Amino acid sequence: MKIVHTDVLVIGGGLAGLRLAIGAKRRGHDAIILSLVPAKRSHSKAAQGGMQASLGNVAKGQGDNEDVHFEDTVRGSDWGADQEVVRMFVNTAPKAVRELAAWGVPWSRVRKGDRTVIINGQKVTITERDEAQGLVAQRDFGGTKKWRTCYAADGTGHAMINAVADQAIADSIPVHERMEALALIHDGNRCYGAVVRDLITGEVSAYVATATAVCTGGAGRVYRTTTNAVICEGIGHALALETGASALGNMEAIQFHPTGIFPAGILVTEGCRGDGGLLKDVDGHRFMPDYEPEKKELASRDVVSRRMEEHIKKGKGHQSRFGTHLWLDITLLGEKHIHTNLREVWDICHYFLGVDPVKEMIPVRPAQHYTMGGVRTDASGQSPTLKGLFSAGEASCWDMHGFNRLGGNSVAETVVAGMIVGESVADYCDAIANAPTVPMGLVREFVEREQAKLAQFTKAGGKEDASVIKGEMQDLMTAKVGIFRTGADLEEAVDKLQKLLVRSRAIGLRSPTLGANPELVTAYRVQRMLKVALTVAYGAAVRTESRGAHFREDHPRRNDAEWLKRTLATWKGESDTLPTLAYEPLDVGRMELPPGWRGYGAKDYLDHPDTPARQQAVEAIRAQHANDRFAMQAALMPYEHLLPPVLRGRNERIDEKF
Amino acid sequence: MSSNQETIAGVGLADRPRKSRWPARMDLAQSTTGLVLALFMWGHMFFVSTILISKDAMWAVTKMFEGYFFFGKAFPGIVSVVVATILAILVLHAFLAMRKFPANYRQYREFVAHKNLMHHGDTTLWWWQVLTGFALFFLATVHLYQMLMHPGAIGPYQSADRVWTGSWWPLYLVLLFAVELHGGIGLYRLCVKWGWLEGKDPAASRARLKTAKWVLTAFFLALGLLTLGAYLKIGYEHRARAGEVYTPAWVQPNPMEKAP
Amino acid sequence: MASAPQSHRKLRFHILRYNPAKADDEPRIQTYELEEAPGMTLFIALTEIREKQDPSLQFDFVCRAGICGSCGMMINGRPSLACRSVTQSFPDDIWLAPLPVFELIGDLSVNTGKWMRGMSEKLETWVHMKQEELDFKRIEAPMDPALAEEIYELDRCIECGCCVAGCGTARMREDFVGAVALNKIARFRLDPRDDRTDEDFYELVGDDNGVFGCMSLLGCHDVCPKQLPLQTQIAFLRRKMVAQGTKG
Ligand SMILES: Cc1cc2nc3c(=O)[nH]c(=O)nc-3n(C[C@H](O)[C@H](O)[C@H](O)COP(=O)(O)OP(=O)(O)OC[C@H]3O[C@@H](n4cnc5c(N)ncnc54)[C@H](O)[C@@H]3O)c2cc1C
Ligand code: HEM
Ligand code: HEM
Ligand code: SF4
Ligand code: F3S
Ligand code: FES
Repeated sequence: MKIVHTDVLVIGGGLAGLRLAIGAKRRGHDAIILSLVPAKRSHSKAAQGGMQASLGNVAKGQGDNEDVHFEDTVRGSDWGADQEVVRMFVNTAPKAVRELAAWGVPWSRVRKGDRTVIINGQKVTITERDEAQGLVAQRDFGGTKKWRTCYAADGTGHAMINAVADQAIADSIPVHERMEALALIHDGNRCYGAVVRDLITGEVSAYVATATAVCTGGAGRVYRTTTNAVICEGIGHALALETGASALGNMEAIQFHPTGIFPAGILVTEGCRGDGGLLKDVDGHRFMPDYEPEKKELASRDVVSRRMEEHIKKGKGHQSRFGTHLWLDITLLGEKHIHTNLREVWDICHYFLGVDPVKEMIPVRPAQHYTMGGVRTDASGQSPTLKGLFSAGEASCWDMHGFNRLGGNSVAETVVAGMIVGESVADYCDAIANAPTVPMGLVREFVEREQAKLAQFTKAGGKEDASVIKGEMQDLMTAKVGIFRTGADLEEAVDKLQKLLVRSRAIGLRSPTLGANPELVTAYRVQRMLKVALTVAYGAAVRTESRGAHFREDHPRRNDAEWLKRTLATWKGESDTLPTLAYEPLDVGRMELPPGWRGYGAKDYLDHPDTPARQQAVEAIRAQHANDRFAMQAALMPYEHLLPPVLRGRNERIDEKF
Repeated sequence: MSSNQETIAGVGLADRPRKSRWPARMDLAQSTTGLVLALFMWGHMFFVSTILISKDAMWAVTKMFEGYFFFGKAFPGIVSVVVATILAILVLHAFLAMRKFPANYRQYREFVAHKNLMHHGDTTLWWWQVLTGFALFFLATVHLYQMLMHPGAIGPYQSADRVWTGSWWPLYLVLLFAVELHGGIGLYRLCVKWGWLEGKDPAASRARLKTAKWVLTAFFLALGLLTLGAYLKIGYEHRARAGEVYTPAWVQPNPMEKAP
Repeated sequence: MASAPQSHRKLRFHILRYNPAKADDEPRIQTYELEEAPGMTLFIALTEIREKQDPSLQFDFVCRAGICGSCGMMINGRPSLACRSVTQSFPDDIWLAPLPVFELIGDLSVNTGKWMRGMSEKLETWVHMKQEELDFKRIEAPMDPALAEEIYELDRCIECGCCVAGCGTARMREDFVGAVALNKIARFRLDPRDDRTDEDFYELVGDDNGVFGCMSLLGCHDVCPKQLPLQTQIAFLRRKMVAQGTKG
């Protein structure tokens, strides 16, 4: 049995995993990154639109700061987020952008003077300040009060991961590519690493580590129509779930992006709308102002996606051979803008649709996009129930997104969480350096168990076809656990998913080899994906309210009185067909921003009993510190102690010079 | 060799043994020799094609190179010196360029397979450059050796007799095609290699360069074929008196005969 | 919506099959028939073949949107991204083979990742700063917006390996760094945050495995799916490196 030892095992080579590993390595701990694919091919690559950070460089971002970013994020989350974590995040995001700038990300930069932009369908002239010349530029994104989204044309994630992956190479951090974690090695209290399968040779080995971090990205592929890459199958979620010890938080919170191209589901960025693109229906009518007079196309994603589906239900969609869709019109942005700032969009339209977006409208329909839920961690990024297990990025439920994450907050989260959790991992390694050694018997046991499971597929002669089961699951999720949810649909989905899970235990292979074998991969992954899908569907079925992206037609109101709490799903027994759900209440009494109306979407919710009192207390503190926002914040909800010392401190801005 | 002494974060560049400067020089030399040869060939083609104007014109050009109009007397040795120079440049060029040839059978096979599969213009052109270069190595050296050793034996009749009676025409025919293809492709390659004439729209310029390249090659091939035809015709008509030296009517007496 | 012809052609995929991990395996061409669907990409087609006809077929897709660089393969003789190749643009017979030069994993899957990592390590393709500790609380250093755009232009490379597979030099000479690397060096040379000088860059690419090995075949330029200006960049780098190499 091959055993690899390291200090920090990072599962996932996306932005979160890379940045985390760099942090740990720079603190003197050896790190190894595992990845299904070369690091730069991780799905972080696909982020187009940008990264939020309240730099306040552009004219339309003037007056922006951590406080505004904080409020936008919490409102966006529909109060599902952990507000302390949001604070940690918004304070670190500007530092993250600046670090990335130093690492070589070619952020688009501000040009001083006048420029014409499209706002609300109209040409508007904006004058950028002289002092802003050459600083990182920012664009408008959904759900934000200020223009805050930093970008590198429309290949932001691409540029970011290039820079971060190159830094990882500079720091000599090995990335073990085409290596898949199959299980976490743990004793119910502590995590010791992972059982890993080499996707080229099929060899199963153990990676033993002091700290293990799950940074495996999203789980979009449990759905049929998704903007996610084919590797975003939620295996990392399943790894944590299958320990039985660590929990997945808020898995029912699934985001649908308004503009997946139809029918392929490939994303065209929110930047299209941020830069002035419009949504239109079969009659060429711009319908969003009818529903959302204030934010229009730029309400948060959950709201826009729902409005689109609502509009389609009214018969206003365009019928095509593949089904019904709406249109995204960016022709008004002009050729030059599209060719410089929206190049990837042009490429995608050209190659996948045969459409020239300079002249024609783009067929779009909402598609699954983001997994808000994930491995539940505390503010330091560690699982509260399984020591030594950390998580960061989309795979985690650190919980800064609550029930809906804002565009641009995700790549920002990956890097920020990487920075913060990288430090916690290093602290943990420092602290545990002298702890008792790894129980090698346990390691062997785990490896043998995974090997036996694999052998089961090739030897047991099961009759079920893995890709058929996978397809059924994906169709079911898209049809029944989508944008609009009802109790009946969800129960049906849970029921059918359970049956699929049972069937998946009898999968057999047509080409039964243990080496490089794509069919075998589908087989063991689909079993795990079904468990993850069940946490989504079951969590959604039980949550009888609407919050953020989770929308129940039969319970359309947000219900803080009963549901201001985080879902925690665990998988107790190997033979279970349902996760065990528990709930963790969010403490209104400690919130800096007590629950209220988001400023868009339905103005219809049931208050938590503690909200009015907290609201009053908050107002009193605000009045007391009216002219010092830092003192006010500290009085409302202190959080700086949660940040690693190196990341504390204020951020300089043009309007807040040091 | 001096280098910046500061250590740049994360790298040991400063500690490495410095790289040789020769690859840069050789690359430059390869292109320069190629360019000189190609430009020389244009001139050369114009000189030899003066036969199309008249025997007198060709004679005059020949004598001019021998310094006749400067010194009032022909020094074929001058030609030898020029030929020797060109030969040296050619040898240098060939030596440098041959580094690029497939070095062994595996490389040869890889490249040919690649070329056949890709159907890619510039890749195929390079293969032609290799083939023609290979041919030139033999043909051009033979021709130059002749010119080097018998610099005086150039002239309307002597050349024509060599072409026809001396049976040099097959060699010239192949040489002509080889050198025009090779030189044309080479000049085009020089432009894309060094970014010359790139302009604002490199794709459009490249297309233009390629057209220009084919036009030039076609032009010089046509000129060369006509010239060769002219030598053949003269040589054929003159076959009975092969070896006789041409003297224009207006030159008295024959400068060759006057030479000591 | 692109108006695809309503035809339902029978496509024949001729795929080079070979699994180097199997001791007794020989490279061979295997043919699969598939009915064309409107808007079908090679991603859709290959996935369908794998799901319905041959579960052992190996290939790599990640983003299936032309942005991650995983799916480079030889499509009818030319290296290209499979995920964004629509079958409509091909004749009934489609020939697929793995990218040459790179280590073969099996069938259409090659290890471009390993090659790229090696290249990056060798050529140090990252920003080298003399000053390592910057204070990220402070406002970032300004950069000329036009320069930022230029750098982004070169940064768009997705390391798909098409340029390497499309380069006759790279196919002949294993140690040739390829256009992808030369473009990267040009990118970092342009970047004011990188403190390296031409003297340093000469150390990285100033030889016949580097920029002087390139024979200007331009296959790279013509196959690059991101349309990177490789021709211009290599020429530019060559001028700079010759200037450096013939100096003093
Ligand atoms: C099309 C698209 C556009 C987006 N645009 C934006 C945007 O503009 N702004 C924004 O903020 N966010 C955007 N997002 C969201 C954002 O890109 C992602 O949430 C984020 O990049 C996730 O990063 P990550 O590091 O967590 O995971 P990923 O980048 O997905 O990386 C996951 C890593 O885990 C590895 N892995 C997975 N499972 C295993 C396993 N079992 N064993 C070993 N390794 C494993 C993978 O190989 C991969 O390296 C977008 C998302 C999509 C899909
Ligand atoms: C002795 C015979 C010759 C041989 C073996 C030869 C071979 C070659 C080869 C292989 C190349 C390609 C080099 C590369 O791709 O880097 C080349 C380039 C070139 N050759 Fe020749 N050649 C010969 C003679 C000539 C002659 C007579 C001319 C003039 C017409 C010429 C002009 C050129 C030019 C202009 C180039 C381009 C230079 C460059 O790419 O740097 N060559 N030659
Ligand atoms: C200084 C050097 C050279 C001299 C003096 C020279 C001279 C001549 C002369 C006098 C002729 C006419 C035929 C003859 O007399 O045999 C001729 C023909 C020719 N030479 Fe050269 N030559 C030189 C170099 C070259 C080189 C380097 C090449 C090509 C590599 C070349 C290619 C040819 C060809 C192809 C012809 C046939 C002409 C035609 O078909 O029009 N020559 N040369
Ligand atoms: S330069 Fe172009 S072809 Fe080469 S790896 Fe980059 S994107 Fe691919
Ligand atoms: S194809 Fe190869 S030879 Fe040079 S111009 Fe491109 S790298
Ligand atoms: S799969 Fe990502 S580029 Fe083709």
